[in-house]
Amino acid sequence: MAHLSADNISVAFAGLKALSSVTLDIRPGQISGLIGPNGAGKTTLVNVLTGFQMPTEGSVNLDGKPLTNLKPHQVRRLGIARTFQGGRLFRDLAVIDNLEVTGVGLGMSRRAAVAEAEAMLDWIGISALGGRAAGTLPYTDERRVAIGRALMGRPAFILLDEPAAGMSAQEATDLSSLVKRIARDLGCGVLIIEHNVGLVLGLCDHIVVLDSGAVIEEGTPTEIRQSEKVRHAYMGTAADTALPVAEVLL
Amino acid sequence: MTDASLSTLPPALANPRKPARFALARRTIITPILLSLLILAVAIVTVMTGSRPFNQAMIDIMVRVVLVVGLYIFIGNSGVLSFGHIGFTCLGAYAAAWLTINPLMKKTSLPGLPSFLLEARLPYWQSAIIAALFAGLAALIFGKVLMRLSGIAASIATFAVLAMINTIYSNWESVTGATSSVVGIPIVRVIWPYVGAAIVAIFIAWGHAISRSGLALRAARDEPTAAAASGVDIPKERLIAFAISGVIMGLGGAATAHSIGVVTPDTFYLGLTFITLAMLVVGGMSSLSGAVIGVLLLSALIQALRWLEAGVPLGSTTFALPKGLQEIALGVIMIVILALRPAGLIGNREITLFRVNRNK
Repeated sequence: MAHLSADNISVAFAGLKALSSVTLDIRPGQISGLIGPNGAGKTTLVNVLTGFQMPTEGSVNLDGKPLTNLKPHQVRRLGIARTFQGGRLFRDLAVIDNLEVTGVGLGMSRRAAVAEAEAMLDWIGISALGGRAAGTLPYTDERRVAIGRALMGRPAFILLDEPAAGMSAQEATDLSSLVKRIARDLGCGVLIIEHNVGLVLGLCDHIVVLDSGAVIEEGTPTEIRQSEKVRHAYMGTAADTALPVAEVLL
Repeated sequence: MTDASLSTLPPALANPRKPARFALARRTIITPILLSLLILAVAIVTVMTGSRPFNQAMIDIMVRVVLVVGLYIFIGNSGVLSFGHIGFTCLGAYAAAWLTINPLMKKTSLPGLPSFLLEARLPYWQSAIIAALFAGLAALIFGKVLMRLSGIAASIATFAVLAMINTIYSNWESVTGATSSVVGIPIVRVIWPYVGAAIVAIFIAWGHAISRSGLALRAARDEPTAAAASGVDIPKERLIAFAISGVIMGLGGAATAHSIGVVTPDTFYLGLTFITLAMLVVGGMSSLSGAVIGVLLLSALIQALRWLEAGVPLGSTTFALPKGLQEIALGVIMIVILALRPAGLIGNREITLFRVNRNK
């Protein structure tokens, strides 16, 4: 069974350690969460896993084979997909074409890509958006299109970078059920980075907590809820995120 | 990639229904057809007037359509501004000259040519095809290095290509005649071959735009990071467009050579680079329709300004604009259009029969 792992990853930017010896496993059908205060290194880790950032030390392995020297498009072709904070849609293209791009990027013909794109939009429940220009979409639709674009070719793994940022409670709940379907129906291994800790605790099978570039705790949602270290990290370092986390944890 | 048997994959996703074959081509082919009809209409009117200067002016326009469509293939789809493409036009023009000038003349004027070129005397359409492929090959080689760069670095590097080609062709006396004119290229005065070249360029540009490579390149133009995360090999897709546009620029070079019968390296330098880029920008950088319409509009304007510079009789006096106004007016118009419509007159759309369509 496919298995994506980050082993002892360290990243330093001009001497500043963004990540130190981070180890993380993602398995098909499982939803993993990555939480931590702002600046903890969460996005950097996703960048390392998808080939956008070379680690200073350590390696990324897919089924035991190292991916560390591959370019982002090569990593994607091996079935490791990602989304970005803020969507990053191809704004001048139609929604359906946004999805089609991944199809052709993976080597499909345009015919095959458009067929899968239509099916994917339908599966996500946004087929009505297909003909719209991506640049005209409201925020939440943008996120769902970005997820659809990442799911083209049915990757083995998908890494979601703050997919619920700026969403209302109802929209976040809808997103949760979409993420569950991605793991269950597509058999995809999901890694979700989120500031909405309540959403992560309710959704994930396994959670990793990063603080200042290091893993300070990992475990099931129940274990994370009870962790003194997590409580301390949030209360002690990031006043702005302390409140919502405290509400969930206490 | 995921083992489908492990998941309860929805049937629609497991086996999606493909659209009919060539559905995209059928839906979008109206654009190159309409643009070709527009060009044919211009040509028919030209032939009907029977005026020789007008015929020559219209041949120039057809050549510019080829060049600007060639620029569109790379610049429009990749979003990378290239100042180097007229270099490939230079390569195409000289290749056409080498292949068509009378061997007796070549032996005295260009003695350094290899013997297979010295002896060659091909019909113009054969030389045009070879010239186009030669320019495309050069673009492929230059592009291999250039396409790793992006943004302003890529644009500056393309300018270096133009300067390099110009320097070589201005100094390689025995092969290019250096800065003196290479004469004796058979002149083709009928408009139809040029019309044919313009239509071929338009259809090649359309075919590339609707191809997988064209779509991937436009995605990389909008969001390179997300395109890479979608599996798009950006340097490769850029290189494909660069080589195809190199072929079209070479074809335009051969057409230029046969339309005026003389080539010099400076014909294919900054002046032509500026005017063709202006036409592309004014029409709409990311639209094939914009490229063609930009050429027609700006060429008409240039022609009108030329007449005004030459002087128009008004009763007993002659009204004439000061010389050089043509260039100034062109610059002003470009600035005004960029200020009011940054995406050009046509923007990011294509003309169709019933409405204006978004780019595919």
